[in-house]
Amino acid sequence: MDSPPANVRRHFLAWDQPLLNQAAAFLAGEWDGRGPLDLSRLLVVVPTRQSGRRLREALAGFAAVHRQAVLPPRVLAPEAFVSRLIAGGVASPLESQLAWTEVFRGLEFGEFRDVFPVDPPERTFAWAVRLAQQFVRLQSTLAEAGLTLAGVGAKAGENFPEVQRWRQMAELGRRQAEKLAVLGRAGGPAARLAAGENPPPPEGVDRIVLLATPDPLPLALAVMTQYARVLPVQVVVFAPEQEAAAFDGWGRPLAAAWEQRVLALPDFEPRVHLCADPAAQAERAVAVARGYGQSDGVLGIGVADPEALPLLERELRHAGLAGFNPEGRARRGDGLFQLLAALAGLVREDSFAAVQTLARCPDFLAYLRARHGEDFSVARFLAELDALHAAHLPADLAAARRHAPHSRALGAVAELRALLTTGTFPQTAAAALGAIFAARRFDLMRPADAHAAEAAGTWAEVMREVRSVAGRFDDVAEAEWWDVALQLYGESKRTDEKPAGAVELQGWLELLWEDAPHLVVAGLNDDCVPEAVAGDPFLPESLRERLGLKTNGARFARDAYLLQALAACRATGGRLDLLLGKTSAAGDPLRPSRLLLRCVDAELPRRIAFLFGAVESAPATPAWHRAWRLRPRLAAPPARVAVTALRAWLDCPFRFYLERVLRMEAVDPTKTELDALDFGTLCHAALEAMGNEPVLRDCTEAKVLREFLLAALEREAARRFGAELTLPLMVQLESARQRLSRAADVQAQARAEGWVVAAVERKFKLEVGGLIVSGKIDRIDRHERTGAVRVLDYKTSDQPAQPWEAHLRTARRDETARAFARFASGDEREQVWRDLQLPLYLRAMAGEFSGEAECGYFNLPKAATETGIARWDGYTPELAAAAWRCAEGVAAAIRAGEFWPPNENVRADRDAFATLFHRGVAESVIFPGAEGPR
Amino acid sequence: MTAIGHVMILASAGSGKTYALTNRFLRLLALGAKPERIVALTFTRKAAGEFFEVILHKLARAAGDPGFAAELARDIEVPAFGPADFLRMLRGVADAMHRLRLGTFDGFFARVARNFPLELGLAGEFEILQEHAARRERGRVLRRMFERVGGLAAAQREFIEAFKRATFGGDEKRLGAQLDRFIDEHQEIFLEVPERDRWGNAARIWPDGGEWFGAAARREPAAQALRTALATLELSEKQRARWAAFFAELGDWAPGAPMGAALEYIFKNALKAWPELAEIMVERKNHALPPGARAALRLLLQALIGQEFDRRLEVTRGIYAVLSAYEAVYHDTVRRAGKLTFGDVQRLLAPGEGGARSLSRVAAEEGRLFIDFRLDAEIDHWLLDEFQDTSFGQWSVLKNLIDEAVQDPTGARSFFYVGDVKQSVFAWRGGDPRLFREIFNHYNDGAPGTIAEQHLVKSYRSAPPVIALVNAVFGAAPAIAELFPGAASAEWNREWRDHESARPQLGGHAAWLYADDESDRFATALRLLHEIEPLERGLTCALLVQKNDTAARLADYLRHEGGLPAVAESDLHVCVDHPLGAVLLALVKAAAHPGDTLAREHVLMTPLAARLAEEGLAAPEVLTQRVLGQIHAEGFERTMDTWWRRLEPRLAVDDAFTRERARQFMAAAGLFDATGSRDVAEFIQFMERHTVREPDAVAVVRVMTIHKAKGLGFDVVILPDLEGTRLDGRRDGLAVQHAANRSVAWVLDLPGKLFAEQDAVLAAHLRAAEADAGYENLSLLYVAMTRAKRAMYLVTKPSGKSTSRNFPKLLAETLGEAGESVGVGKLELAGAWAVGDADWHTRVAPPPVALPRTMELPRLDPAAGSRSRRLPARRPSDEKDGTIAAAPIFALGDRVSTEFGTQVHALLAEVEWLDAGELAVLGHAWAARKIETGVREQVLACLRDPGLAAVWQRPARVARTEVWRERAFEVVLDGMWVTGVLDRVVVEWGADGRVERATVYDFKTGLVADEPAVEAAARRYARQLELYRRVVVSLAGVSDSMVGSEVVFTWVRRRIVVESR
Ligand code: SF4
Repeated sequence: MDSPPANVRRHFLAWDQPLLNQAAAFLAGEWDGRGPLDLSRLLVVVPTRQSGRRLREALAGFAAVHRQAVLPPRVLAPEAFVSRLIAGGVASPLESQLAWTEVFRGLEFGEFRDVFPVDPPERTFAWAVRLAQQFVRLQSTLAEAGLTLAGVGAKAGENFPEVQRWRQMAELGRRQAEKLAVLGRAGGPAARLAAGENPPPPEGVDRIVLLATPDPLPLALAVMTQYARVLPVQVVVFAPEQEAAAFDGWGRPLAAAWEQRVLALPDFEPRVHLCADPAAQAERAVAVARGYGQSDGVLGIGVADPEALPLLERELRHAGLAGFNPEGRARRGDGLFQLLAALAGLVREDSFAAVQTLARCPDFLAYLRARHGEDFSVARFLAELDALHAAHLPADLAAARRHAPHSRALGAVAELRALLTTGTFPQTAAAALGAIFAARRFDLMRPADAHAAEAAGTWAEVMREVRSVAGRFDDVAEAEWWDVALQLYGESKRTDEKPAGAVELQGWLELLWEDAPHLVVAGLNDDCVPEAVAGDPFLPESLRERLGLKTNGARFARDAYLLQALAACRATGGRLDLLLGKTSAAGDPLRPSRLLLRCVDAELPRRIAFLFGAVESAPATPAWHRAWRLRPRLAAPPARVAVTALRAWLDCPFRFYLERVLRMEAVDPTKTELDALDFGTLCHAALEAMGNEPVLRDCTEAKVLREFLLAALEREAARRFGAELTLPLMVQLESARQRLSRAADVQAQARAEGWVVAAVERKFKLEVGGLIVSGKIDRIDRHERTGAVRVLDYKTSDQPAQPWEAHLRTARRDETARAFARFASGDEREQVWRDLQLPLYLRAMAGEFSGEAECGYFNLPKAATETGIARWDGYTPELAAAAWRCAEGVAAAIRAGEFWPPNENVRADRDAFATLFHRGVAESVIFPGAEGPR
Repeated sequence: MTAIGHVMILASAGSGKTYALTNRFLRLLALGAKPERIVALTFTRKAAGEFFEVILHKLARAAGDPGFAAELARDIEVPAFGPADFLRMLRGVADAMHRLRLGTFDGFFARVARNFPLELGLAGEFEILQEHAARRERGRVLRRMFERVGGLAAAQREFIEAFKRATFGGDEKRLGAQLDRFIDEHQEIFLEVPERDRWGNAARIWPDGGEWFGAAARREPAAQALRTALATLELSEKQRARWAAFFAELGDWAPGAPMGAALEYIFKNALKAWPELAEIMVERKNHALPPGARAALRLLLQALIGQEFDRRLEVTRGIYAVLSAYEAVYHDTVRRAGKLTFGDVQRLLAPGEGGARSLSRVAAEEGRLFIDFRLDAEIDHWLLDEFQDTSFGQWSVLKNLIDEAVQDPTGARSFFYVGDVKQSVFAWRGGDPRLFREIFNHYNDGAPGTIAEQHLVKSYRSAPPVIALVNAVFGAAPAIAELFPGAASAEWNREWRDHESARPQLGGHAAWLYADDESDRFATALRLLHEIEPLERGLTCALLVQKNDTAARLADYLRHEGGLPAVAESDLHVCVDHPLGAVLLALVKAAAHPGDTLAREHVLMTPLAARLAEEGLAAPEVLTQRVLGQIHAEGFERTMDTWWRRLEPRLAVDDAFTRERARQFMAAAGLFDATGSRDVAEFIQFMERHTVREPDAVAVVRVMTIHKAKGLGFDVVILPDLEGTRLDGRRDGLAVQHAANRSVAWVLDLPGKLFAEQDAVLAAHLRAAEADAGYENLSLLYVAMTRAKRAMYLVTKPSGKSTSRNFPKLLAETLGEAGESVGVGKLELAGAWAVGDADWHTRVAPPPVALPRTMELPRLDPAAGSRSRRLPARRPSDEKDGTIAAAPIFALGDRVSTEFGTQVHALLAEVEWLDAGELAVLGHAWAARKIETGVREQVLACLRDPGLAAVWQRPARVARTEVWRERAFEVVLDGMWVTGVLDRVVVEWGADGRVERATVYDFKTGLVADEPAVEAAARRYARQLELYRRVVVSLAGVSDSMVGSEVVFTWVRRRIVVESR
């Protein structure tokens, strides 16, 4: 689109004033303010939708001065200006993409070695889609300059390196077109080109104005060229007349004129601010905004670096100011998107994980409440799900329901899945959503609901679009249709109305139309401004030039012009501040915009020194400081505890309080396998069954015992986890089998030595200094000859446990344990009780035993060779007495509510409560009653 | 352009590596090279950024300062150059800024890959996985593997088998944890060696067999034979007992299990007598072994060792199988989905069988990737930095390109690489210091002098005393040879050159101080800091340690005990290392998992409890719905933010720390939101793992690992963490045996030393591994000691009699332990060695205080400047109110679809007046235009309907009428900018030419079922119609009373007059 026809005339609006009002005045022309300002027969092309909006607003304001209304012109962005010409029967982006995926999935790569030198991985739909998206993008890029894949070869000429590759690309393009033709569709880009050929003159229009649009779509200019034959076309350039030479006939900055040009940025150093990173830029910009408060329209903020945008929004929020991003937000962030994604997950597979995700979608929970009535508790439902997961690790919905047959909520999920899986997308989706929202109403006055309604509408459109194509593309699976739809929906933008007085955060290309006297632009870093694209596998810069596509050179000219214009129109009575970052948010170094180096050479060294100088160093990070200390609530000490509790108290009284008194227990949603406790329980169950089996009482045949144990294990596992197990469970069961089959040998030998199982899982209750201690003894053996008795506890920890070590430890140099927990015999180092389990077992049974009683562990550790019974040799009466003394001490302490001080030496990765504590347990807590730390 | 030549520079620490590299760059420019034709690669983006700045600053300065210009001109050997030339160069670089190729290896490789996706078998574009994302993907892959895919898939069976082998005898009951460890430890190796036959393959490890194999079976017989042979021998009681114990334990022993005392005792002593076994030491007395016993014992030992080896081979193969199973899934679900790590990218580009075609600048070259065109780059010059850290993988990607440059006959291209083999501390992540020489030899053997060799030994960083210390330790060839026998010392001593300080007049101090244990070492460090007061004197200061957690401990110690602003430059877990972050996470957890009593109680222990109570959110039921609702609607950042703001007022006014953390917390949450996930569990994991590196703040004592200190310099450096048992300890983990060409010969889960030492092959591998370790540790200390500019203090235990070959030993051997005590300023400390000025710091003048700059920008007077008014906008079509049922919106039926509505509107807009006969005409026209029947019918029905006739019929008895159809408008009404489209307006003029009345008709094409629905809808549209009415008042310039408005429902053909409010 080189030079326009002669009858296209250029008009210049000097840039000593902001553009907007000048533009309005220009369009109003001779209007005298009597009667409405009627521009309805005018067609105006502006750079973007947003700038069109600004223009119409300005016109309204302009007319309002005469208390008049406006019959507005048709205001279009170049894209719309072209696409409005496209008749029906054109492939939607979705259709083009699907056509491509079909092409790729069916492709004989051997014939396209210059495009696909190596065979791509297995041709999944996902793979094809990603490739397709790239080709769709490529096509539309080419179309901008009126090219198709086929056109490239010719336009580029023979003497460029990838001729062959593009021949094959052309063939690919042809095949996609074929696919579309079958559907009675023309390829989007192709159609646009066709439309550009000889467009019907726009109805009811008698003048066209191309208004301050420095880089219009080439295709749009092609169309305009043809209109120019029948209609007056005016090109309005925002620049003083004497700059005429710097622009072409369409008002585009000429690369030649701008690449070497010196940009006038008055008062440079005070107005260019080198900040540490995007966050610092945001702070800077918001500091200004705060200064202006609500005075609307004085300040405009531009964001050239997308990375700075979210940070600006955040900073504004924190400053209590409303920010507004006219770009809108992608719906990927919507609540509805989350719900849809969860449903799609449920379609893909009915895994329990998918259920958990769905269960945490508010809309679904609302549905359950509506369905099951107000007595239905969301909290209880979620808690039950977690409990179910912890106890049974169900692989899928079916398994989950077997364990909770009466859960109405799970029933609802199942029904929902039925809806989702009977029939085809999108009907399935519509049905499911219809059910979920059946009882819901949107109150359009409530913004939240209004958005929800709008989102729903958008999704409905997406479903319809998919439905319109679904029939035509086979071999796309249900789940894949969901993916397609989710992608469409997720990429669609949600634009809210600008809240009154909100600070608009505008993109670089919008700023020409911003007339706020004070403009702050963040992100003046190279590659953002001037924009530069690199790393396109199909269109490297050199080829772009040959093809007449937009080059980095052209972008440089455009952005140089924009910067100059922004500065110029604020030279008097205004102010332009430019912010740039030294590093990205990730800490990678950034370069200042080259535009900032467009000064006279003599000035350059100083600019370099300034722009590459040091940023004002951030204040040294403040020293760690505790915001508050935790105040656990006060609860009454327990009257009865389990044996294990004593160990817990000895280990750490405070954690005992948290765990056993406040009953604090974490949920682990990421649990995928048995924890140590589950694993123990599983083995115990089998061993208990063996002990209870009279037939085996005297069995000395390891083989038989083994068979029994393994069978018992299978039964228990099946009972708890169902028939079908997840991989980790299989591995763990395998481990349990190994341990048990080795245990069989040990048992057989024990029996051979004369030990007979006398009791298993023997419950007992014991009163210790006013505290009821209850427990269950895994197993009691009696020796058939000596009558000796031994109390055994099964241990399934990876390392074999030794009773002595498990119960006692040598005192530390600076031992802090309470007196009753200490114990010294003769000359050895002082010992400290860690556990009282076995001593209390013996004590509990004391009544029943006549002869000597011993105790120990039955170890089923990791290493098969170490499986065996570990007796507590030398468990003397003296020890027993000491243990009892300790037990009484602990009991008394518990009754007295002594849960302080905490143990500071628990390793964080072993501490269930680690998340509560920072830099010391005592320091982190104010414990009621306790004197607390100094 | 004159030939530039290729250069290898071995640059000792502080000798100006950056200086050399930037000057090289400038020289190339000066000789006319285009900036975009030069590639300079290093390892961190930070370093790359610094090069660029140094280059610009040098040019800028030279352009303005003739003196400096002359200096620079001399340095880069273009004496004729003056300021004007440098200004020209500066302009050149500035304009080419965006085309410069100063960057990282990773960045460059990623760039290439982006340009050749299809050539590399990628489906189009890919994203680079950062640390946290990679972890998340791993988690997902594992979960995927764990999920049952209908019954037990064969793949899963295999996997379990493999897993059992990998974790031999000792089974593992925590699969997840175990796998995670496996992947951490072995994945890199697996990716380097994906070939199955390299793993635990005896034939490759012992090509010509070995005495151990097949011996396993002979264990039992051999044991028997030995017993009998020993029975007849007369031995002391003790000896008999020992042998008995030996046999007893022998019975139980299985490979992999620890040996019993007696078993190990005999085993060891027998090996001492290996292979003759003429006699063996038992109970401090040798006793002879009869020939029978010798043979038997030999067999037995071979059997034991054989069994151990067999097991290790088995385990190794198991590990392989496990990893390949994982990798298979990972590859399908992650890499193929276009998510790559930098490592993946590099492997993609690595040429060779299976690998990609190598990169080339020769267009026609077969089996090459021609980069010039795709990269818009014609790269002539290569500058590689930190070359000692370059991995073989990285090199092999670039090799061909550099070959082309070096072999360019015209000499117009060049290759330059710089580094310091003495600083190769990154061997563990692939750094391959040997490349340095190999490449040099590779080119120079063929044509001597191809690459020029230069050594830089002048330190521009360190003062003479520091240099003296460095030379004393690392120049002591004999001592080093003694401590690191073999390759390590040989290589070290070969490359060593004595250093000298380029700043002879610079005062400083270097000393080796004594301290017993860690707390003592920390204390000594603190005393040094209190004496020297580096911050008060404006000196930079660092304490270097070996591990991150030590750094954290030490920094804490200095802050608490010493009240010093110390910063541990390890990565901080800013989201969870403080009460605020902890409770915010507890809040979401409690909400998403109401059963989590820990999280809930946690929340109730904090100030948040009060806020919950006030807002009636205390009950789980409410809390769950509120928080989950927020998260889904707005994401985590905004949600967390609202809760933070509830807490903020409760903070101490001076609590800058927590406020800073809050900022960092929200930023992290924002990052997570960007991933699109709203999964609470994933969020919490993300936040727990999220780390931030504290910015190199000024005026703090920096505590960091030696590795992190590489490339930095500080006035004062203290090394309080040099303990350790041995310097040549092989890194544990799988043994990977490389061939000379870097191809991997074999991988093995190495048996314990006791066994490995017995085998020539494995012993050799051990030796080599130890040599590498030794060399790396020498480098580590070298790096540490050369960070110091002015003062260097080593704080360790005295080596004394200890035989362990650790750093203290090295210092003892090189510096000697003669000394008793060392003075530092007023301090008198235990120590062995010192050189320089003990009071150097007292002669340092404190720096002037810098004034903080203000953030505020000048503000404009709001009144000033002409600008269009910014008004709140209103679109009447949005002016809906009342409530609507949600479900119908999701319905698929066309009739409510928007395109239907638009079409109906369009047709109705074609009707000006409906005169007699018009109807038929329109009907035919529309039919001819193939307007969708549904649409057509509805519109015609509306036109026919007597009830609606008034809408279409030209009003009688008025002078003039006009109808506006689909008329757009913009107007300002009471401070609002109102914009929209009027469907149909009928304006009537009286005889006096003044408007008598106007009526607005607004068409509603939405589906309304029945009369009540109509009523409701009409009410809903009242506000909208009222707006339209007022617009018409303004447009027609008439008085309010003259304009009426009606809403017309096309679906039920009802029109309802809307009373003006
Ligand atoms: S010992 Fe033999 S006979 Fe007795 S129970 Fe066991 S298997 Fe049966």
